[in-house]
Amino acid sequence: MSQSPVMERRSPDTGVGGRGPAEAAFIRIDGARKVFTQRSGGAVPVLDNVDLAIAENEFVSFIGRSGCGKTTLLNMIAGLEDVSAGRIAIAGKVVTGPGQGQGVVFQQHALFPWLTAVDNVAFGFRKSGLAKAERCRRALELLSLVGLDAAAGRYPREMSGGMQQRVSIARALALDPQILLMDEPFGALDELTRIELQQELLRIWEARRKTIVFVTHSISEALTLSDRIVLLASNPGRIKRIFPVDLPRPRLRTDPGFNALYQAIWNELST
Amino acid sequence: MTRKLVQALPPLAAFTVLLLLWEAGVRYGFLKPYQFPPVSRIARGFVELSTTGFPTGVSIWSHALTTILRVLQGYGAALALAIPLGLVIGALPVVDKLTAPLIVFCRSVATLSLLPLVIVWFGAGELTKVFLIGYGCFWVMLSNVIAGVRYVDPTLVRAARTFGLKGLELYRSVVLPAALPRIFAGARMALGVGFMVIVGAEMIGTIQGLGALIMEARTFYRSEITIIGMLVIGLIGFAISAGLMALERAMLPWAGDLDRVRR
Ligand SMILES: Nc1ncnc2c1ncn2[C@@H]1O[C@H](COP(=O)(O)OP(=O)(O)OP(=O)(O)O)[C@@H](O)[C@H]1O
Ligand SMILES: [Mg+2]
Repeated sequence: MSQSPVMERRSPDTGVGGRGPAEAAFIRIDGARKVFTQRSGGAVPVLDNVDLAIAENEFVSFIGRSGCGKTTLLNMIAGLEDVSAGRIAIAGKVVTGPGQGQGVVFQQHALFPWLTAVDNVAFGFRKSGLAKAERCRRALELLSLVGLDAAAGRYPREMSGGMQQRVSIARALALDPQILLMDEPFGALDELTRIELQQELLRIWEARRKTIVFVTHSISEALTLSDRIVLLASNPGRIKRIFPVDLPRPRLRTDPGFNALYQAIWNELST
Repeated sequence: MTRKLVQALPPLAAFTVLLLLWEAGVRYGFLKPYQFPPVSRIARGFVELSTTGFPTGVSIWSHALTTILRVLQGYGAALALAIPLGLVIGALPVVDKLTAPLIVFCRSVATLSLLPLVIVWFGAGELTKVFLIGYGCFWVMLSNVIAGVRYVDPTLVRAARTFGLKGLELYRSVVLPAALPRIFAGARMALGVGFMVIVGAEMIGTIQGLGALIMEARTFYRSEITIIGMLVIGLIGFAISAGLMALERAMLPWAGDLDRVRR
């Protein structure tokens, strides 16, 4: 695990991605709606008219009450869930399915229980056309990126929740996706591991230049990581407010700016 | 180890006392030997069965072998049909919906109630017995294979889809392995059904096999032989089931929780 502090990537005056109105959006969500049809035949509107533009290399977090539609929105960007109305485009191309540069870290454990850690990561290369040995070599490389080379031969059930989550991240990075969609990836971890993994993630984001959409329930996690925090309201899910986070990285909880924003988000979230 | 032995002592002692009381009960005329054959009688019966045989000439080993062969034939045929069919039906939700009521119906029909009909079809020979065993095993296996494929964790399928897998490849490399534990569980359940059917299936047209032995013993009021037949069926079922579990552990090392679940 890297302990090196993460440096501010952009000088503050260039404007953090996605906020300038004219700036080209990398991920563009236009009037996206989602309606689930229930078994009883009724229709539940889950997301209503979501508009959002995310710039390339931006780190955006979604925060909002349980059930407000964060996972659904993430899945729609991933191409795993249809859009009922409106559209979502990545780099100008309408999302019609997975495989348009989206890597996903799922909310629940989504490792294949019958594969060892290294094989789970190597699974990501299945359609890459690489030779088996090469896939394995790269998978090991990714595992060491998340600090897990020693556990390469273990099955998911033989790993702790935190280790499994790291394998999931390594696997999502397999095809070196431009976009990383992460659904509460550190939700079930202890505080220390969580902070370590946050630093790790920022390091990867730095080094590999990725656009990250990150779902979390933790305001301080969102503040530690993101360029912008998108607050969702529920019933139906919609964007309530967007908070730009203009604090230099590494971000400290003791920073007054950090605390002021924390308070502002808390107030907005709890009303 | 010693601790385990010590723990096993009280139930063992209780069991011995029970057997002794039973023995005494028969000796002093409280229990009728043809209703409650005592241990000594069962032991003598076993000696007779393994030497002269019952009916004369057919030893317990030959009965057991016949039964094992019949069960394995019916069971093997059932698995050979149910697994591929289940994999196909499970892959096609529409077909699954259409066939589900039929499968539930066929599985619910008590296998032995088919006996008269099956005799009309196939006569009273080997085929009838193997068919009945196969019938019982087939529906249980089929519904388990279908359920195994249908209830694969959708998150796993989604994860695979993000890496570009779809169609047959998705099915082969995600749905199939994910369904394996349930398929194995189905195979164990089906085996149980096979042994449940065996006595009835061997009731007619044969003096060979443990089922036939049990029925034959009844005619002669040789209850101790019925009990021996019962015990041997139990032991064989136990052994095959243990073999299946060992196979499962070897083939699915990643599932691993079998032991903990079972105890
Ligand atoms: N397949 C589905 N069918 C019907 N309703 C669904 C389905 N999936 C999700 N929902 C509903 O959509 C709403 C949003 O679900 P979603 O999983 O996106 O919430 P979430 O914001 O991720 O919640 P959490 O923070 O608890 O993970 C919920 O009310 C849920 O009940
Ligand atoms: Mg969610």
